[in-house]
Amino acid sequence: MELGVAILLVIGLAVFTVTPLLAPDGPSEDALPIDVTPLADLKRRRMVVYENIKDLEFEYKAGKVSNEDYNTLRENHLAEAAQLMLASQEQEEITEHDLMIERQVAERRAQKKARHPDPYVCPECEFENPLPVKFCGNCGKELPKRTRGK
Amino acid sequence: MNQVGAVGLIAALVFAIYGMISGAIAGKFRSPRMLKSAQRAVLGFFAMTTLAVVSLEYLALTNDFHNSYVASHSSLALPLVYKIPVLWAGQQGSLLFWTWLLSIYVALAVLLNRKKNRQLMPYIIAICMGVGTFFSLITFWVANPFDQLSLATATGITPYAPPDGNGMAPSLQYHSMVIHPPMLYLGYVGMAIPFAFAMSALLTKQLGDNWIRVTRRWVMVPWMFLGTGIVLGGHWAYHVLGWGGYWAWDPVENASLLPWLAGTAFLHSVMIQEKRGMLKVWNVVLIILTFFLSIFGTFLTRSGIISSVHAFAQSNIGPWFSVFLAIIAAFSLTALFLRLDFLKTENRLDSVASRESGFLFNNWILLAAVLAVLWGTIFPIVSKAIQGVTVTVGPPFFNKVMVPIGLLLLFLTGAGPLLAWRKTSFQSIKRNFTVPLIFAAIVGGILFFAGVHRLYTWMSLFLCAFVAASIVGEFYKGARTRMKSTRENFFASVYNLTMRNTRRYGGYIVHFGIVLIFVGFAGQAFRFETQGLMGPGDLLRAKDYLLRCESIDTGQKANYQYETVALSVTKDGHALTVMHPQKRFFLAEQESLSHVALHSTLAQDLYVVMAGQDPGSDKAIIHVIINPLVQWVWIGGIIVLLGTLLALVPSSIERQMADLHKGREELAEAHHVS
Repeated sequence: MELGVAILLVIGLAVFTVTPLLAPDGPSEDALPIDVTPLADLKRRRMVVYENIKDLEFEYKAGKVSNEDYNTLRENHLAEAAQLMLASQEQEEITEHDLMIERQVAERRAQKKARHPDPYVCPECEFENPLPVKFCGNCGKELPKRTRGK
Repeated sequence: MNQVGAVGLIAALVFAIYGMISGAIAGKFRSPRMLKSAQRAVLGFFAMTTLAVVSLEYLALTNDFHNSYVASHSSLALPLVYKIPVLWAGQQGSLLFWTWLLSIYVALAVLLNRKKNRQLMPYIIAICMGVGTFFSLITFWVANPFDQLSLATATGITPYAPPDGNGMAPSLQYHSMVIHPPMLYLGYVGMAIPFAFAMSALLTKQLGDNWIRVTRRWVMVPWMFLGTGIVLGGHWAYHVLGWGGYWAWDPVENASLLPWLAGTAFLHSVMIQEKRGMLKVWNVVLIILTFFLSIFGTFLTRSGIISSVHAFAQSNIGPWFSVFLAIIAAFSLTALFLRLDFLKTENRLDSVASRESGFLFNNWILLAAVLAVLWGTIFPIVSKAIQGVTVTVGPPFFNKVMVPIGLLLLFLTGAGPLLAWRKTSFQSIKRNFTVPLIFAAIVGGILFFAGVHRLYTWMSLFLCAFVAASIVGEFYKGARTRMKSTRENFFASVYNLTMRNTRRYGGYIVHFGIVLIFVGFAGQAFRFETQGLMGPGDLLRAKDYLLRCESIDTGQKANYQYETVALSVTKDGHALTVMHPQKRFFLAEQESLSHVALHSTLAQDLYVVMAGQDPGSDKAIIHVIINPLVQWVWIGGIIVLLGTLLALVPSSIERQMADLHKGREELAEAHHVS
């Protein structure tokens, strides 16, 4: 009895595990998204430098850092923050350009899809021809006019 | 249930292999569907190892002695509270337990990263399932806890169950043993996750400090378990083994200390990478070393390659572990070597007098400690391989090497926080070190005039005073500065200061716990021992204590017979307590064990052992030890645990960073979808 339940459980888990492989691709399921964009990384590093400046000021107020050390370290931190800010701005421009290009590509694709909503299915072999063609790319049969969508 | 457990084991192995392969494919081709399948394989692996563990526990609780493992490690008379620890009382069970804990950790990592670190996760799963495959394989193939006993008869092989089992080693039948091994295992196993994160970062070339940030808690949690396990192990040794100490540099004790030391180094050096973008290669090396030493520790504990007080579980798994350790080293070092170009440091060390330098020195010393302990531990193997004779390195070697290292570390514990990042001028050093040093000098003077003349003992207590003063100073200065700007009262300031940066102030509390542990260590210099034969009416003096034997009795419990002595104790003429040390004889195991009697105060422990009965006179052999300051070791351990828990609480700074991370995810998603 217990053994039967255990075997059923194993089979159920095996099915559960392989199911995602059998599912059709979703619209945004072509690749894993990136974990860290260069821009976000720069922003985070800038936040770390700001935090370092806050720490320094706190330690200065607490009397742990001398005037001379405070001035030198603060200048160093601010220079580092400025560098990161500059790099962030450059990266923002790149990201903006990338997004603009990708938006344009997406728009073109949408327009194209609107013009040809359905793929050109061959009634003979059921091959989906991606373009409005006269002959099927798979079996070579001439496609009927309505299928060509003209 | 035995067959159910066996099915669970086989299925766990299959899920582990599938998870490893599908994770690697998902990483290589960045396939979301394959990743989803790999994640589900992890859940399958967890479910199947759980099934195996539940089956074995069921067999133990129902005294099913058809099962060879249960028959070897349990008995009818074994109390219920010790039937559950049967799982980790022997070789096969503890390897299954290891595998199960790994499955819990990996399942947690998968669940907590469902929508995060999508590129790191496939390889994290692949690596963790690779480790899972190894442990499932040896649990199934070499050390199977579901082997059944059988008898060869004229009609063939028939199942066999003895009327009673062999029982559990008497020294394991102690309350802290219920929790000490699980704690250590949670520490050992947990180090697989940060290792997998690091390897995944190497494989995906995502070697910014994202993996460091994500991994920090995954290191702290097992580090905390490992530390707690080590302290509990000391507590067990002190209360059960009857020699009056808590640390003997036993190979298995050392095996647990090694990853803890390497993990400590990582937790410190990681701050330099976060703050300054330095030590990137070093941090990867440290996490590899920590994981390697965790597996090495498991290997030492379970292989019986070196004789130890932990000789509970030994078999032929040594060669398997040797190959696995070689694979870990080859794989991780190759990955590191191939990605060296991506691990360039962003900054240089500005000054020797800086907090970065303090961390760097701390790392070197911790590494020296790792090497010293490792050398002393494996020396018997090395000597046998080279000279053909096993030469054991005892406590004198370790004490000679490790005491100065410990004192250096203690000094840095106090000095590090007093140094500023990047550069500290002599003026700042003078300003920060003056008060703690004056306080330490006063304490040192008092100790010297009180008769503490041993150099290391005096230095240890002097440095404890220095570190304690520097920690209190950090809290005081911080709170005072906050009070000026927020008008809070002192206690509210301390609380808010701590919660704003839990990591830093939690770390200071951990340091304070370490100080208390060192105070406990220093007490060992004043240990006093005496021994005597005692019958009713006999007296034994131990310094200020006078022990009088009131009676000697015998009795029987469910699983052991005992002899006990009632000792009334007076101190300076005042009645203090009645102590009952016992000598126990366990029936199923046919073994004797002394049950220590203790009278503890913060100043000292009165530790009494009944070593047995003198055959000539029928008097009890009583061994008395006065152990000063031992309680501070346990109190320090608790404070280290509390400090670590506090450091795990997300601070306001971290929450801001998390918000940024959330924004980054949305941006990445937008980038990806558009």
